[in-house]
Amino acid sequence: MVNTGEKTVVIRNLVKKFGDFTAVDNISFDVSKGEIFGFLGANGAGKTTAMRILCCLSHPTSGEGTVAGLDILTEQEKIKKRIGYMSQKFSLYPDLKVWENIELFGGIYGLTDKQIAQKTESMLKALSMENTRDMFVRDMPLGWKQKLAFSIAMVHDPQIVFLDEPTGGVDPVTRRNFWELIYEAASKGVTVFVTTHYMDEAEYCDRVSVMVDGRIEALGSPAELKKQYNASDMDGVFTKIAGRAERE
Amino acid sequence: MWKYLLKKEFKQFLRDPGTPGMTLMFPFLIILVFPFASNMEIRNIKLVMVDNDCSEQSALMMEKCASSGYFEVKDIVNSPSEAQKMMDDGRIDAILTINAGFAKYIEGDVPATDALPVGIKVNTVNGTRGSIGSQYLNACVSSYVMSAKGMSGGTAGQSPQIDVTETYRYNEFLDYKEFMIPALIVIAITMMCGFLPALNIVSEKERGTIEQMNVTPVSKAAFIICKMVPYVVVAYFMVFSCMLLSWLAFGYGCAGSLLDVCIFTLAHIVVMASFGLLVSNYSENAQQAMFVIWFFSMAFMLVAGIFTPLESMPQWAKIVAYANPLTYYADAMRGIFLKGSTLADTWKDLVCLVGIGGTTTLWAILSYHKTN
Repeated sequence: MVNTGEKTVVIRNLVKKFGDFTAVDNISFDVSKGEIFGFLGANGAGKTTAMRILCCLSHPTSGEGTVAGLDILTEQEKIKKRIGYMSQKFSLYPDLKVWENIELFGGIYGLTDKQIAQKTESMLKALSMENTRDMFVRDMPLGWKQKLAFSIAMVHDPQIVFLDEPTGGVDPVTRRNFWELIYEAASKGVTVFVTTHYMDEAEYCDRVSVMVDGRIEALGSPAELKKQYNASDMDGVFTKIAGRAERE
Repeated sequence: MWKYLLKKEFKQFLRDPGTPGMTLMFPFLIILVFPFASNMEIRNIKLVMVDNDCSEQSALMMEKCASSGYFEVKDIVNSPSEAQKMMDDGRIDAILTINAGFAKYIEGDVPATDALPVGIKVNTVNGTRGSIGSQYLNACVSSYVMSAKGMSGGTAGQSPQIDVTETYRYNEFLDYKEFMIPALIVIAITMMCGFLPALNIVSEKERGTIEQMNVTPVSKAAFIICKMVPYVVVAYFMVFSCMLLSWLAFGYGCAGSLLDVCIFTLAHIVVMASFGLLVSNYSENAQQAMFVIWFFSMAFMLVAGIFTPLESMPQWAKIVAYANPLTYYADAMRGIFLKGSTLADTWKDLVCLVGIGGTTTLWAILSYHKTN
């Protein structure tokens, strides 16, 4: 469902400095509607920082861009209504039950009680988690938590969803399930922006970018990149590109 | 949006393993335990007497001191050095030495201009205890000497009498508990509303949930106000349960209007809760927030005229006290509880409290960034 005519993320010359340290060094890229855009890079390459700027959690030092057609410098609160975000750190409320978390985030995004009730039903059904309705989120296994967190990030039908290492520490079967959820979202026209360290997941993306030392070193579809770097799989591509890193 | 945020805060508050229990326990501690512990009446002064006179008069005076209720007579010894040794060891607080010639003095066998052959030595490591102890001891001795001289036909009756009547207002029985209870309520509100909101926000930071909030369209004001509301409820619960308990346990009522109590309490909650939020905005983890709030709470409590009168502090300490919200809240609460002060008397306190609260609230909201 990639619609290359319609850009949902447009970033130009984005820079983020923390003192002398340049975490994001002049990056530019576009993401199309319904695209699954993978963001690869070694630890500390600047992936999370870049993503936090796109989610309006962080101000860029310089550069410009739009997310969902809105300016990331001036229309941050409007952008927040149109995006979903799932952070690296698990961030649902552990002392609230499953349905209470859904209700809270649904309510925050302005859903009515009726809409929330419908969402809760359909979401739990889609996740086959009807029995966990009254479970405290802290008591759930990690894989379930991550799937729930993803669904809650999508509770308000955002145009773009940002996923920061959503499958870290999750078993292979659950990871597969998770990617099925991602595909389903993309097929409905949601743009998915995802960072990952798993190279098999990189293969599932429509396009991937590889960040090294804050810069985008490579950008293209997995097939293009493999050809360009003469590698049999994404693992080989990543090793060749990330090996150029100079900073720790 | 507000409804859902409030629901979340109340659920989280009630599900916390510690706070609801603490909220219920606190009023009992404040009313039934702390007033006795923070009592500054001096009792049980450990006394040793040295009797060098060994007369009927000296025995009677020792009896008088022992029965006054303020002293605990540890021993009666014969040598001053023995008594001194006991004081050096820290076993006693005061020594009463009755020298030879005491009986003769009482019976008027020596000129009235001679010094009374009685010595008092007090351990003043704890200055208050020492000076008050020596006053009690002095009072005992002089009242005995007066009455004994009077009985043995001294000159007491001939001197002109000045009759002084004292009237104690507002707390007629000089009951220290009644004075301390409003202040202890003040301390409880301060602790509750300073620590808990700060720790609450910092724990959201530590768990990363605050990030999930920051990425939603929730407004800063909505988020912060919804955090404060449960603590407003808790603080009112504490104030009124304390008042009810102190009425049931000691029969103390509030002389002023409950509305005034409510107004001042609200002002103080806003001050402390916004201060707590302010600290949490600048803290990355719970230890840091705890330590900063603890530091300020100590300073607030000690420099507020709660335990020691403001008037006797040096100038610089007074300046610190004037910047301290507890000074105004404690002053107003004592006034309302004991004297029945109204807003007409306490408006200055309210203005200062609202001024401090306005500043900290504004600062807290400005320093909370959804995007940084």
